[in-house]
Amino acid sequence: MAHNVAPFAEYILRVDGLYKKYSKKADWAVENVSFTVKSGEIVGLLGHNGAGKSTTLRCLEGMLPFEKGSISICGKDVVKDPVSAKLNMGFVTDDHAVFVKMTGIQYLEFMADVYGVSKPDRERRYQELERVFCLGDSVYNLIASYSHGMRQKICMMGSLIHKPRLWILDEPMTGLDPRTMRAVQDYMDEYAAQGNGILFSSHALDTVAKLCDRVVLIRKGKQVSDLNVKEIAARDPDFDFEEYFLQNERQN
Amino acid sequence: MKDRIDFGMVGALLRKQRQEWVASFKKGNFNAVGFVFRVVLIVALVAVFVVFFGNFLDIYLDVMTGGAPHPQERLYEVLSIAYTLILIALIISAVAQINRALFSSDDMRIMSALPVGANTLYISKLITIYFGQFAVTAVCVLAVNLTAAAHLAQGAWYYAATALACILMPLLTLGIASVIALPVHAVKLFLKERFVLSFIFIVVVMAALLLAYAWVLQGVKELLFGDDLRYFFNERIMNGIARAVGALYPANLMAGLFVSRGRLRCALILLAVLAVCVALSAVFIRLILTRALRAGNSGSTSVHMRKRKLKGSRSPMAALIKKEFLTIFRTTDYAFSYFAVALVVPLMVFFCMSIGSSLAERLVAVDCNLELAIFLTLLFGSLSNVFCTTNISRDGKMFYSVKAMPVSPYTVIFSKVILCLIVTVLSQLLSAAVLAATGYVSVPVALFLLLVGVLFGFAQICIATRIDFDHAKFSSEPDGEIKESGNTVSIIMVAGLAASLLVGGAVVLARMMFALRGLAEAYAWVTFAVAGVIAIIAAAAGLALLMYRLKSRYYRFSGGLL
Repeated sequence: MAHNVAPFAEYILRVDGLYKKYSKKADWAVENVSFTVKSGEIVGLLGHNGAGKSTTLRCLEGMLPFEKGSISICGKDVVKDPVSAKLNMGFVTDDHAVFVKMTGIQYLEFMADVYGVSKPDRERRYQELERVFCLGDSVYNLIASYSHGMRQKICMMGSLIHKPRLWILDEPMTGLDPRTMRAVQDYMDEYAAQGNGILFSSHALDTVAKLCDRVVLIRKGKQVSDLNVKEIAARDPDFDFEEYFLQNERQN
Repeated sequence: MKDRIDFGMVGALLRKQRQEWVASFKKGNFNAVGFVFRVVLIVALVAVFVVFFGNFLDIYLDVMTGGAPHPQERLYEVLSIAYTLILIALIISAVAQINRALFSSDDMRIMSALPVGANTLYISKLITIYFGQFAVTAVCVLAVNLTAAAHLAQGAWYYAATALACILMPLLTLGIASVIALPVHAVKLFLKERFVLSFIFIVVVMAALLLAYAWVLQGVKELLFGDDLRYFFNERIMNGIARAVGALYPANLMAGLFVSRGRLRCALILLAVLAVCVALSAVFIRLILTRALRAGNSGSTSVHMRKRKLKGSRSPMAALIKKEFLTIFRTTDYAFSYFAVALVVPLMVFFCMSIGSSLAERLVAVDCNLELAIFLTLLFGSLSNVFCTTNISRDGKMFYSVKAMPVSPYTVIFSKVILCLIVTVLSQLLSAAVLAATGYVSVPVALFLLLVGVLFGFAQICIATRIDFDHAKFSSEPDGEIKESGNTVSIIMVAGLAASLLVGGAVVLARMMFALRGLAEAYAWVTFAVAGVIAIIAAAAGLALLMYRLKSRYYRFSGGLL
């Protein structure tokens, strides 16, 4: 086990029987999905394009309403107590939505204000995050002038400024240069080891295999499996996650 | 390889644009109420124009020069001036549309990567813009020409030439617009991220427009208070008009086509102008396209701000208000249509007050400054608040990100309302101060005006925000900027105008009725009571509408483009 610093008793995220559809006549975009993320755990959400990964994540983040089921973050229900639940969460969307008319530093200030981070804490967190993401003086530039990868970096920094217990990332490695990709992977490991939970969606199977303790597979909105890949790999040294995933996809 | 125009491809691109246009009328994308309000607003504007223009023509066509009336000559002058104004408006709109089509839309970036020739792409865009311009031209030219024909009988040629003008005028404006679109884009690019300079530029432009406006109003005042309108148009003035009209190319050539002033010469010169415009625009098209394709690939310029540490903590509400302010201030079009317009409102109120007050005293010998001030404050206040109709749409996809943050729906929505309200209060405060300083109203009355203006402004902001929340349309632009005003604008504009006309008109009429019966002093309180009570009711109703199931609707919100 890579991230067994904290006991896996505490559920940071608990999703029970989640159902979501975009209109009354439409099919379920997400149907009966249930999983958990425990303290110190990195969980990957996998599936082909249009499987329902981003929809699931958007429901967790509170961006989209859902029809049935329950979601709680650190014991707080996202429907009944949304503000408290969201205080424990940081998120990075797949479209890197940021306020482009702000400078990087203004965006970080905005996020720190919204999440109620004190002045000494925000300065310390910024220094920590800068060491990982290395935005340098670009942080003083308008976000409108950022490249795709730089926007991704500022989104990640903003999502972590309040040190959330749960970090949700939708396709986090897209657009990052190899050095930053490696730094982000290392940081995800380190962050989980501090007792936080991470949930991310990705198509990069090697990254998922390398980072994740567990993987939730989704197909056509339905949950196919919830694998403890680290446990399987420990039992079977020849286990090839990529091969397993592709074989599973072919069979279905 | 030479970039030839592929007309088959032009047809395919036009079909794509038509499909997108038709899709905007489908259920879910189409706001029927807003559309009806927009049509009503256009019809109302045309009706008002026809009435005023008709009355003006009655007088102007009879104006004599050299001791005799020359109605055809007068018609030529009026048409030349009217076409000049239409041409200017169409050119400004065409430049904006060309720049939007080439530099702002994702569409261009996608299409430029496909095997479609640059000229083919540009021509397809121009044809779409042409149809829009044709519709606007038809409304304007028909309103002007048919009103004129109703006051001075014309032959069949006049009507045929009117139809021809509707077709040709947009060609002319598109040709001219193609030539100046690139320099305008260069200026916009230069100002884009120089926010302070941009704001100064906006204020200078607004000041210039205000000067022109004051000059026009001064003319109107002189016209209204002169001994007789016919005496106003004396030989000296008419000579000046004739000289000015002689220089109004190419509008005077178009007018010449209608009133038999060397039709062949006018037609030939117009054709030559059209040919020159087409040739010049062909050269500029290449320049524009090169720039457009480069802009599509290079993104925004990098603007370096001052290095500093992270600032101390604010409340989420203050952070959201600051975010809102930066978004507006750092987007030239937003800053123009909001801060600059709000700054200009007090002067508009003052100019109109100076005319209205004198007019009321002259016509009915009644001092109804307070009532007029209420009417004008509400009228111009409602126009400046139209900007709030994009309070939600302006956020684009970031509205969802804010939704995922630990802030209550009330904090999110009221951060927008509060910023709008701050600007409204400042604008109304300046209006009231100007009216008090120039002696039109006393200081206590100015404070009452401020209160009424703010309450009505608050009502309008709440209603506009709620309508936009219920019908949010997020931009597909990379920076989320809203480039086109939606139907919500029409709803809020019509509602604001109707409210200011009803309340302002009611108090002005009541005051006049009491004054004519000698009861003005005894019933002075009626104005305060009517305006005050209606303002409070409006503010309460606006707030109630905004708050109605806001929390549940906010959490169930899934509109826009996500």
